[in-house]
Amino acid sequence: MIMLRKIKNLIPLVALVSASSCEKNFLDINTDPNNPTAVEVSKILPTTQRTLGDALSLDENNGGLSNVLAVYAHQMSTREEADKYGMTGADPVIATPWAKLYSATANPGTSFPVYGVLQNLEDIIKNATEEGNLRYAGIAKILKAYSYSVLTDVFGDVPFSEANKLKEGVLYPKFDDDGAIYDALFPLIDEGIADLNNTTAANTLRPGTDDLIYAGNVARWVKAANTLKLKLYTQIRKVKNVSAEINALITSGNLISATNEMFVIPYGPNGATDDRNPGFFTYYATQRSNHVSPWFYEILKGYNPNILTGNPDPRLPYYIYNQLNATQASRDGNQTEYRDGPFVSIYFGSVGPDRDRTQQNSISLFGIYPVGGKYDDGSATIADANSGTGASPYRLITYADRLYLEAELIQAGVITGDVTAKLNAAIQESFKQVDYVITQWVKPAQSVPALTGAAAVTAYINKVMTEFAAASAQKKMEIIMTQKWLSSVGSSVDQYNDIRRTGYPVIFNPGDPAMAPGGFVQPPINGDPVNPGAQKRVPVQLSRTFALALPWDQTELESNPNAPAQKNPSSYKVFWMP
Amino acid sequence: MFFSNANNHKNKNMFMKKLFLLTAIIIAGFSFAIAQKSITGKVTSKKTGAPLPGVSVIVPGTGKATQTDANGNFSLSNVPANSKITFSFIGYKAFESNLPAGNSLQIEMDEDARELSEVVVTALGIRRTDKALGYSVAKVDPDALLQKSEPDVLKGLQGKVAGVDIRSGQGTPGAATRIQIRGNNSFFGNSQPLIVVDGVPFSNDQVTTSNQASGGGAYSSGIANLDPNDIASMNVLKGSSAAALYGSRASNGVIVITTKSGSAKRTKGAEISLKSSVSTEEIANFPEYQNEYGAGSQFAYSNANGSWGPAFRNRDSIPAWPSYKAAYPELFPSANIAYRPDPGNVESVFRRGWVYENSVSLNGGNEKSSVGLTASHLNHKGYVYNSSYNRANVGLGASAKLDIGLNVSGNFSYARSHQEGGFFGENQIGGAASSFARTLFLARNWDYSLPFEDKNGLPLQHNVTGYDHPRWSAKYNTNNTNEERIVAGVHADFNINKWIRLDYTFGSNVASLDRREVTEIGSRAAAGLGRLILDNYRKQELESNFLITVSPRINDDFIVKAIVGNNVNQRTITNTTQTGSQFITKGIHTLGNTSQQQFTTDFYSRQRIIGLFGDVTVSYRNFAFINGTVRNDWSSTLPVENRSYLYPSVSGSLVFTDAFGIKSNWLDYGKVRAGWAKVGRDASPYSLEDVYTINPNFLGIPSATLPNTANSPDLKPEFTQELEIGAQLSFFKRRAEIDVTWYDRKSTNLIAIITTPASSGYGAKVTNFGGISNEGVEIDLTVRPVRTKDINWEVHGIFTKNKNIVTSLTGGVERIQAAGVIAGINPYFEPGMPYGYLRGTVSARDDEGNLLIDPVTGWMIQADDEQFIGNPNPDWKLGVTNTLTYKNFSLGVLWDMTKGGDMYSVTVNSLMGRGVTKDTRDRETSWIIPGVYGDPNDPGQPLLDGGGKKIPNHTAITTNDLYFSAGGPSGSFAINSSTEWQIFDATVYRLREVTLGYDLPKTIFNKTPIKGIRVSLSGRNLWHEAPNFPRYTNFDPEVNSFGATNVQGIELSAAPTTRRFGFNVNVTF
Repeated sequence: MIMLRKIKNLIPLVALVSASSCEKNFLDINTDPNNPTAVEVSKILPTTQRTLGDALSLDENNGGLSNVLAVYAHQMSTREEADKYGMTGADPVIATPWAKLYSATANPGTSFPVYGVLQNLEDIIKNATEEGNLRYAGIAKILKAYSYSVLTDVFGDVPFSEANKLKEGVLYPKFDDDGAIYDALFPLIDEGIADLNNTTAANTLRPGTDDLIYAGNVARWVKAANTLKLKLYTQIRKVKNVSAEINALITSGNLISATNEMFVIPYGPNGATDDRNPGFFTYYATQRSNHVSPWFYEILKGYNPNILTGNPDPRLPYYIYNQLNATQASRDGNQTEYRDGPFVSIYFGSVGPDRDRTQQNSISLFGIYPVGGKYDDGSATIADANSGTGASPYRLITYADRLYLEAELIQAGVITGDVTAKLNAAIQESFKQVDYVITQWVKPAQSVPALTGAAAVTAYINKVMTEFAAASAQKKMEIIMTQKWLSSVGSSVDQYNDIRRTGYPVIFNPGDPAMAPGGFVQPPINGDPVNPGAQKRVPVQLSRTFALALPWDQTELESNPNAPAQKNPSSYKVFWMP
Repeated sequence: MFFSNANNHKNKNMFMKKLFLLTAIIIAGFSFAIAQKSITGKVTSKKTGAPLPGVSVIVPGTGKATQTDANGNFSLSNVPANSKITFSFIGYKAFESNLPAGNSLQIEMDEDARELSEVVVTALGIRRTDKALGYSVAKVDPDALLQKSEPDVLKGLQGKVAGVDIRSGQGTPGAATRIQIRGNNSFFGNSQPLIVVDGVPFSNDQVTTSNQASGGGAYSSGIANLDPNDIASMNVLKGSSAAALYGSRASNGVIVITTKSGSAKRTKGAEISLKSSVSTEEIANFPEYQNEYGAGSQFAYSNANGSWGPAFRNRDSIPAWPSYKAAYPELFPSANIAYRPDPGNVESVFRRGWVYENSVSLNGGNEKSSVGLTASHLNHKGYVYNSSYNRANVGLGASAKLDIGLNVSGNFSYARSHQEGGFFGENQIGGAASSFARTLFLARNWDYSLPFEDKNGLPLQHNVTGYDHPRWSAKYNTNNTNEERIVAGVHADFNINKWIRLDYTFGSNVASLDRREVTEIGSRAAAGLGRLILDNYRKQELESNFLITVSPRINDDFIVKAIVGNNVNQRTITNTTQTGSQFITKGIHTLGNTSQQQFTTDFYSRQRIIGLFGDVTVSYRNFAFINGTVRNDWSSTLPVENRSYLYPSVSGSLVFTDAFGIKSNWLDYGKVRAGWAKVGRDASPYSLEDVYTINPNFLGIPSATLPNTANSPDLKPEFTQELEIGAQLSFFKRRAEIDVTWYDRKSTNLIAIITTPASSGYGAKVTNFGGISNEGVEIDLTVRPVRTKDINWEVHGIFTKNKNIVTSLTGGVERIQAAGVIAGINPYFEPGMPYGYLRGTVSARDDEGNLLIDPVTGWMIQADDEQFIGNPNPDWKLGVTNTLTYKNFSLGVLWDMTKGGDMYSVTVNSLMGRGVTKDTRDRETSWIIPGVYGDPNDPGQPLLDGGGKKIPNHTAITTNDLYFSAGGPSGSFAINSSTEWQIFDATVYRLREVTLGYDLPKTIFNKTPIKGIRVSLSGRNLWHEAPNFPRYTNFDPEVNSFGATNVQGIELSAAPTTRRFGFNVNVTF
């Protein structure tokens, strides 16, 4: 009985222990002590800027859009899916930029840090507006407009009005009409400019070094925003009369007007952190797949019979680094497909027997200017992680780009002006900008001569201008667009836009009997020093015709019930295409 | 269900006889009822002399029954003369006595090993008799796991337990093995069972430092540090009914292990046993290589990976390999070298592996105290150079009964292991360096007698680069893991009176791991500059259980036992990872020797659960049983308003042969059972609120980002419900015994991350959604065709069939990706489809199913959309063990098979695509892929001729092209093809285990303290046949690149399986 009484006392005791255990203290431990629930917008801004550059870059490792678009714009050739316009939406080179642009943090699992642009920008816009830090809101709106312009240009219809609203309950955004998105971008840019210029805002937090692009310089941001508008109006000029808007912009004088005002995403060296341009990856890639396109190379060399013929471009050693010298045999012990002295590559569309041969330590790579690689001083050494700093920026819009836009607009009759002077200024600026990028950002260990003022440069430009003067109206447009294409190496989004908008530059078509008679192309016959006079012709083919847009990210289509069926990239037209 | 050894059978037989006797007596009892008298008595243990409390004392046929009290005393009144009295107690032989001449009776009961084995340890250590179970519990005889040339406990279970699916990971030492009971119940979380050792959960985490798709190691999981030699009993609680009391984590089943050291018996004397084994291992499945064609393509030589070059008979020399000539010019005096095969080049990459296991265990004590000690050591050197797994374990346990009646016991164990191995994964992923990148498909002319490094220790490859030489990789790219685990527990119990008992258990299980992943300078990974990743992981689990057991006497027919209890559990994880890049000097692998460092991870989480539960069992005349449980949990991980949740279970069993007095020549014993249970489960910690993550600086500027996964503040607990029905039957005096279970398990409103499209702003969102069902059948059948004095033959078969279907997702979502593996093939969840089915790229077909062919290339056109391409879940599994004993010899042979289940294999794809096996030897011919011409610009559209008819393909391609296509939108059957062509049906037949044992005659050592010596030879994985893989690849689908994770059916250049032969000695004193 004594025992029983004890038990009776014990049972409530157990209940008591449990009940008190349920008290807040014991179970209220569900707060992550190691990660913050709020951070300042100034901590988010650098992430968005850097990731925008990553998403557009030549990155062959984690995927940047230029990795595909440089192939479609015939500055790069590859054995990967982009060859023969075969890119599918399942490829990570599409999926990763898509996720980088939209998400907060793209799916982990890659060795490289992968963050996101738009969700973080929306976070900045929301918080900065609430806090009255409108400069951040303004910058974020301009970056948002830029990001959406790229998404629309390359994919057509994309999620916009319902995108980045998961926290408001939209798990599956609809895809908006590409034209409607463009219409919304102009007011968005204007809002951004207004926010930047707002003098009544509290602005207790102002962008400084955390703004990697302009270090908080409001005037430059406004110029960049206006130049972005100029670019977007030019983009839609074939489907809409935009003369008034463009004239107003040019009259305002508030456009990017100097080399140092260029709108770029900076990169740095592999220092305390790895800050390199993702396009530099090719230098230490375990299996290099970014080749420099022979088409691009031949135009630079003046080999192309139809344009810039016999006018070798002095930027060649800045653009392309050759691992071999002019007489050396392939380091990999294999027959090359395309060889011109030191230059080794493969053709777009090739089905030749030598296409897939390993040439890891023999192929030519993009050089110091596009990716911060090596200036080709003829040393002919194997490229590796130490061959350059990798600190070249990704160029969104440069002063030269603005000048080319104006030249195009004059030539197309959208605005009036002296097209010859404009083109000349644009080309001059293109050369200047190479020097500027190298001294301002790349900061190489090797000594690199300046282009500006070099006799070869003057000779080159004079010859271009002579060709231009003699050209038909159509050819004039081709020369303008080709020069822009040459100038923008490494930033291929606008190249792809320009080709689709203007048809220029002329790109290699394996199905064109003039370019590939009988389905074959002939590399320079004496180009291979190992077998002089015997370089084999190469069979080329197309599987798909030129892609008018990129396929959507298959993961997006698979996971979004409101997404359309996958497009046929060969026939899908973006709204601004005539 | 039964893992019986010969001893067991005999006992079971006796038990059955007694059952019949009992039944007979009950029936007979009705006819006699004359004079009556009172009886008092005492029951003691024959062995120890100690009084036995709680013994059932029954006067059959009269309805009279009682139990002995704490001092073993009992009394009965009005017992009819001529009655008999039966005494029964768990763990003792039932005893039947005539009425004494006087009024008192002294009974000594004998321990019964047979009866002991009938006691099943169920949830929270509650012991029940097998008869009383309303659900299926598999008991594993620890001897079935030992001395079988298999150091991995889980792999040792393969083919032996119905309802359990065990899948291997990599074939290197210590690699994780995945175990699953009745399928997956969770979309993303852990679907592996809860493992409870000596009352405390034993974390079985697989700590994944680097992504296993792109260079992770063959990581082990926690159970690897459990010492199999220390296992005293292992019970697999398969269903939710069995496990309901464990609550939240029991929805995947529970494995309840009692260690020898932690359960030393208080019996007189001491037993010492020594076990020693040595095994040798080799790769079980080398492909059969062709040795007629060397490197190149289309019969032309080039310094390539593929062996599609000229026939050796057609060419006599090739240029010396440039990398080798540059590194060792002295070895290559001329520009050219002979063009000839190196038939043994792949074999030369490997070595003979060895497994050494030694263990000593000691048990001893008296009636008041006991002690148990087990110490073991395992040394496993794998067949890959520099791969090994070493483990040392010490376990100590003691128990004592204090004079005040309190039983106390404690156990402590320490395990330390060291795993060394390389990196695996898909080499094609940028920055990855798989040690198996080219290993199994070396070009046939690559001379592997050449050094694997240059004079500076940098790797050398025949074709310059693209992979690290496998021997170099084994030597320099190393993945080392040290693990330590400390398990400590105390238990106390006390009988307040004869029907109230208190039990308290408190235990701590701490596992800590530190890992160093070294990528040496010169590797293809880490930009060739070297990298060190340090991973420190610690998980601590505390568990407290308090039970009050009440077994009041109701009447003679009904026995009631009720338990109320309280459980408190806390889990804490800390994890830090640091990455150092660019070694300053080669060969020193410290963070200080790197020029760039990053704090990759600094993770902490803690969660707590409080549970209150009750359990009531009512038995009627020892043939009908019903059990009900209810538990309420309060979890720290759920929102305050949803953190409390309750779930019940009910189960029952009926021994119908006893209940209805069925006596027949053919049916000995029959029991039916049924159970229903609901189990609740909470969320992962910190799933309610979004946080930002701080990124590494960029350009010296600090930065942060929102996360990839959006959390939800309104999560609710998820529930799994399960119904199971089963029967146990024994025929022809136990010549045949069968145990059949059918179950249907449904998990609903799962807490999981739903993949959201990137355009939503997040990659995933944590929420409650969807449902998963598992329905299946488990059969365990034992047949004993021969039972004589000298020869015994037993056939034991198990059959497992489980259908694992995703029943629903969330509104409007067609499917979600289960995991991101690689482009072109990923596991998915989709309503009505098998769990984690594989979806990937396919070749386009027209409306009649004809393959569409690109007329220009002659290759198939890839469709725009991905489709179902495989189901990794096997249709069914079968294991058959034959045990033959003849006098002192015993022979055990285990065959098993897996039917169905698809596998994506990069190894097979590469073997075919590189043209190295005999499958592609006959190649001097061309092929036309059957199909019609299609429009490559519009996949799915056939091209039509002038008459509007489809055009049959007549574009011929070479054998080389058949298996190696260029990238781009069209492809053939192996490299660069649509992933559907790399999917194979993984049906496999296997001779899993052969053991030949011999017990030395006692006469040899009868003058020594030795009680027994047993020697045995064992063979493991001696033969397999996977008929649906290309013949000469010899591929063994029992590998998996993702270890113990939910990603199954994907093999990315995994290390092949092993075959072992061993010699074992077991000495007992």
